[in-house]
Amino acid sequence: VPCVSGGLPKPTNITFLSINMKNTLQWNPPEGLQGVAVTYTVQYFIYGQKKWLNKSECRNINRTYCDLSAETSDYEHQYYAKVKATWGMNCSKWTETRRFYPFLETQIGPPEVALTTDEKSISIVLTAPEKWKKNPEDSSVSMQQIYSNLKYNVSIYNTKSNRTWSQCVANHTLVLSWLEPDTLYCVVVESIVPGPPRLAQPSEKQCVRTLKDQTSALKVK
Amino acid sequence: DAVAVLPAPQNLSVQSTNMKHVLTWSPVVVPEEIIHYSVEYQGEYESLYMSHIWIPSSWCSPTAGPECDITDDITATVPYNLRVRAVLGSQTSAWSTLKQPFNQNSTILTPPGMEVTQDGFHLVIKLEDLGPQFEYFVAYWRKESGAEEHVKMVMNGGVPVHLETMEPGSAYCVKAQTFVKAIGRHSAFSQAECVKVQGETLPL
Amino acid sequence: QFGPCRVEGVVLQKLWEAFRAVKDIVQAQDNITGVRLLRKEVLQNVSEAESCYLIHALLKFYLDTVFRNYRRKAAEFRILRSLSTLANNFIVIVSKLQLSQENKMFSTWESARKRFLLFQRAFKQLDREAAVTKAFGEVDILLTWMEKFQQL
Repeated sequence: VPCVSGGLPKPTNITFLSINMKNTLQWNPPEGLQGVAVTYTVQYFIYGQKKWLNKSECRNINRTYCDLSAETSDYEHQYYAKVKATWGMNCSKWTETRRFYPFLETQIGPPEVALTTDEKSISIVLTAPEKWKKNPEDSSVSMQQIYSNLKYNVSIYNTKSNRTWSQCVANHTLVLSWLEPDTLYCVVVESIVPGPPRLAQPSEKQCVRTLKDQTSALKVK
Repeated sequence: DAVAVLPAPQNLSVQSTNMKHVLTWSPVVVPEEIIHYSVEYQGEYESLYMSHIWIPSSWCSPTAGPECDITDDITATVPYNLRVRAVLGSQTSAWSTLKQPFNQNSTILTPPGMEVTQDGFHLVIKLEDLGPQFEYFVAYWRKESGAEEHVKMVMNGGVPVHLETMEPGSAYCVKAQTFVKAIGRHSAFSQAECVKVQGETLPL
Repeated sequence: QFGPCRVEGVVLQKLWEAFRAVKDIVQAQDNITGVRLLRKEVLQNVSEAESCYLIHALLKFYLDTVFRNYRRKAAEFRILRSLSTLANNFIVIVSKLQLSQENKMFSTWESARKRFLLFQRAFKQLDREAAVTKAFGEVDILLTWMEKFQQL
């Protein structure tokens, strides 16, 4: 039995949250219905094509988000999505996103950062962030394959001198040599794609201590 | 009694340095009255394709002072016509138009300010942040005869950037210039600054 | 570099800023979401050689038809400044795209023209105002394609 459309206020603040092409639709419950057992139904639309498509896993759901990564995986297309709320016999009208363009709007996640040290140097190995994939066993696609001009901004903080400096690198390994022995250095890395402004997420700060100076250790003996 | 005819502003001119453009004019003086002004601009497109329409300036329609920062209005490297009129209540003067169209490629580019420091053996530079349109060419060399000059492009100012890992006991010198891709021009180089590893900064 | 055209100092930054400021306003006016003018057949797998002719044709069309006819709406929605920034920078790019006449390979030019005609035909099948609004709303697709070619 079809519900009475417009009997409920619409869900609000519908947006796509997109990181490395993992595109999640999210929204807020309708005004005044927080805590009420409302269910939601989602549809999506590929700009330039003809009809709205259902997302079966997001029909009559309680949560206020829906993963549309598979449906929006062709990042050169543009998309709309919409959601409506249902409660008993009443349902809201649809509330719709603005046009979503994954290629421009996805946030580029940080690379994986591996640090190894010796007395006076730190080796930094970066692994490009991965594009979302449907199944863990699917082959990985690096965001570098999508954004060929992807670079990294590496920030280094010397906790002893309290100085920070950065370096922009295109390749995946960087060796910081001639550092101070027995000193804690902290590293943060951010992915950068030149061109239109894009949101980027910095990596977690990682700190490592360079080894004690072996020569002075020998003198002490 | 109302001013018979509100005089139009005179002596319009544009001062432009490092892609910051300011339109100035001689103030219109009416005793015991506060005069405001309206500024409008017209790019090449508006002249060629849109029958010469004028667009109100982002920040100066209206404005109180006899000057207007038109930086946000000049957004392409084409000639722009600019005009100003005085406003007193409901009364407006005639428009005064800048004699020559202004093009941002005439801006004066000054060498960038820079701070050269070292963190142990690491040579670090922090350049003056002149805005998103600026890139910086940094030249650095080891202070010894026949030393090779290295060049590094720094995309933004305002943050310390690593230049080189220095040899112990040596001294390095650095100079920098700005480059603005939109107008295809660069500034002169700054004065060189030198640092000695674990020594004092040596003025040239 | 756009294929055979050498291009100096094309900066898309101001265009991105200008379009980003008006994207939601302009795209919200486009109700014919079932039509995409700059669809894949127009822009995908464009050879380097074709790119110069195609970008020249598209930018000229935007200058001559899209921006010119969008003026009244731009004034209504108070986005004349963004339109001015886009249009004046398109003029700069077109003026820099020196189509080197002497090595104008007819076959390349012809295939670029076919792509442009796909776009133009789709444009003409719509009501004029709707087509202009839709084309303006697709400037992000155009800039994205230009950005990719600029890095080659």
